[in-house]
Amino acid sequence: MADDRAVEEPRQPAAEGVALSEPPKGGALSQAWLVLVMATFFGAALAGVEHKLGPVIAMNKLNETILQVPSLVPGAVETTPDMESAHGKNVFRALDENGRLVGWVVQGRGQGFADRIEVLIGLDASVATITGLFVLDQKETPGLGDNITTRAFRDRFAGIGTDVTLVAQNTTTNREAGVIQALSGATISSSAVCTIVNQTVNEVKEPLAEAARAASVVRGDR
Amino acid sequence: MAMNGPTATERFVNGILPENPVYRQLLGLCPTLAVTAAMKPALTMAGAVLFVLVCANVLVSLIRGLLKPHLRILVFTLTIATFVTIADRLLAAYLYSMSKALGPYVPLIIVNCIIISRCEICSSKQGVVTAIADAFGVAFGYALALLSIATVREILGRGTWLDIPVMPLTQGDYGWSVMILSPGAFLVMGLLLGLWNWVEKRRARGRLGASAPGA
Amino acid sequence: MNGSQETANAITNDAAPALRVAPAPHVYDTRLTTRRMMLDVLLALAPVVGMSLYNFGWRAVLVMAVTTASCLVVEEAGALLQRRPSSLGDLSAAVTGLILGLSLPASCPWWVAMIAGVVAIGIGKLAFGGLGQNLFNPAMVGRAFAMISFSKFLGAPAYRIAEVGGIVSQATPLTLARDAAAEIPALWPMFLGTVNGSIGETSVLACLLGGLYLCARRTASWEIPSGVLGTLALLAGLTRLLVTDASIAAVPALRLSVLEHLTSGALVFGAFFIATDPVTNPISRKGMLVFGAGVGFFVWLLRSFSGYPEGVMFAVLLMNALAPLINRWTVPTPVGGPVPERR
Repeated sequence: MADDRAVEEPRQPAAEGVALSEPPKGGALSQAWLVLVMATFFGAALAGVEHKLGPVIAMNKLNETILQVPSLVPGAVETTPDMESAHGKNVFRALDENGRLVGWVVQGRGQGFADRIEVLIGLDASVATITGLFVLDQKETPGLGDNITTRAFRDRFAGIGTDVTLVAQNTTTNREAGVIQALSGATISSSAVCTIVNQTVNEVKEPLAEAARAASVVRGDR
Repeated sequence: MAMNGPTATERFVNGILPENPVYRQLLGLCPTLAVTAAMKPALTMAGAVLFVLVCANVLVSLIRGLLKPHLRILVFTLTIATFVTIADRLLAAYLYSMSKALGPYVPLIIVNCIIISRCEICSSKQGVVTAIADAFGVAFGYALALLSIATVREILGRGTWLDIPVMPLTQGDYGWSVMILSPGAFLVMGLLLGLWNWVEKRRARGRLGASAPGA
Repeated sequence: MNGSQETANAITNDAAPALRVAPAPHVYDTRLTTRRMMLDVLLALAPVVGMSLYNFGWRAVLVMAVTTASCLVVEEAGALLQRRPSSLGDLSAAVTGLILGLSLPASCPWWVAMIAGVVAIGIGKLAFGGLGQNLFNPAMVGRAFAMISFSKFLGAPAYRIAEVGGIVSQATPLTLARDAAAEIPALWPMFLGTVNGSIGETSVLACLLGGLYLCARRTASWEIPSGVLGTLALLAGLTRLLVTDASIAAVPALRLSVLEHLTSGALVFGAFFIATDPVTNPISRKGMLVFGAGVGFFVWLLRSFSGYPEGVMFAVLLMNALAPLINRWTVPTPVGGPVPERR
């Protein structure tokens, strides 16, 4: 409280200075009633807009992910509409036409060169290999870093085992497992994607493999 | 002063060319540079600005009698912020891909000086009809600037115009990537601004020559 | 300058006996013209051009002809637009065009070379107000524009023309240096210039011949090339002393030795012909040394850690931007001691 007063006191003369040049008519309420009324009115209007459009926007985001599932996991045709979560990551089940679990699609995110990068990682049911990659959101340098969204770059991830750590390298000769050929002029963006994939896969590997075993046991009983 | 501003027609015409917000007043340059890499985001941005500008101008003009001088900027910002948020949500709901492409630049319309300057200059002093004419004029002027820059950048950078291939040679590997990057934005805007000034100068000289043949 | 001369004239008109006072320089050489300097540069470029013909043949001629022609055309068009007398005679546009051509790969398509030439003079020089007004080296502005726009035709892969065979189909030394598995060529071929690279950069010998001639004629200041080469040699030497196997595995370009750094890429060509452009570097001797050292530092930094194998172009452009600042830091002390501070 004492601190509050210490801050408040020096402002007093300044307020008087303003008052001298232009004497206020009436109290604080008569000055600010318009602002208060407008704020209330606008707040209500925005709440209405959000109430009406919020679900549509959330649906747009979800649709974008669901649309990608078949291209990320081979054999998948649909996904369960509800997402699950493992270690705080959003996870979608990829199902084939018989409703059997053929893989997973996991949302991963992390810092890129310019801003946060959000990716979808396709994994097979037992989480042994990466089956695909899609970049949901990125703001990397146009013409260089934003090439991480291209097929040519994303396809470099498909088929790699989840037991190796991915590294991006400026190489055309190194064919070791886990070496991703970096985009020329965008090594940092390429490395960022590798790091995001590594982290996400490591975090969801155990719980998802467990869930896949559980699912297959259930099917086996039937 | 209060009622004797320019007429609605004058406001409308002035906003488009003689007081073009980008080429004559150099306002709102950040979004101008950022969203003009292609026609579609530029069009969306121009549309969002038109919506916000018309709504803000109408509302401010309606309540202009109630404004307290020292609280007016607060009221302007509040009004603009509300309509920008509505525009942003509408885009995210019905033009999701465009909303993603424009990123933070739609919310940033709140701090776009073009709109607050129209509130200050026109709608807080003149009637609703004039304010609407002013909003349309200035928004069309802004759209003209955005689309002219975007035309050059998209055709040279991607070989397309509104995503329609127009120059088979500059597509793919043949595009001028620099035009899509930020240096291209600065270069094209600078060169178009130079061209604009040059044309204006010539026109001014022509008027001078016509009125005073001796000069 | 003009103002003070007008004042001097006014004084002489008023009173008959007057002491004419004019700012320095008081002694000057009428032969020291832009045209003479540019002729010197063209002469000094002769061995470089010769070597480029030996290495790349008609492809080199085509690229150099296109860049020079487009620079000359834009220079003349600018003169016509601005209604000033033609400035082709001072040869500065020809030098810009030739240096630009020499800095491109031999495989560069003619239209990329043409766009680079147009941008070099149009945006790099005329937009700033013509000769003497430009902030950045025009040839490098043109090259940077083309490099960023058409990385396919100017990037590292563009340098390998498979159908020609011989040195032209190999990767450039600095591209090889980026690949930990590849071997860097021997020093002697790199010095003579029988390796792949941009048209004019391959032969250190030819660049040194021309460069030393320029320095001897005082057309180019010796401070800049020595600053560039000295700093790069120092940094490369320090790197070699401190670097470990682990860091080489992470950043393969760190394994380049001092001599490999000095003989590869566009370094010597850039140090003598690009960084010495008198318009875009500082005025004083000390400033030029600082400028050269800055170019050397950035070349080392970009070669080692950037996404591109070579860094001369961006190093020169970066230091061009800093030249006005260097001028402010390195105001020379006039004869008779420092100017007392005004209070």
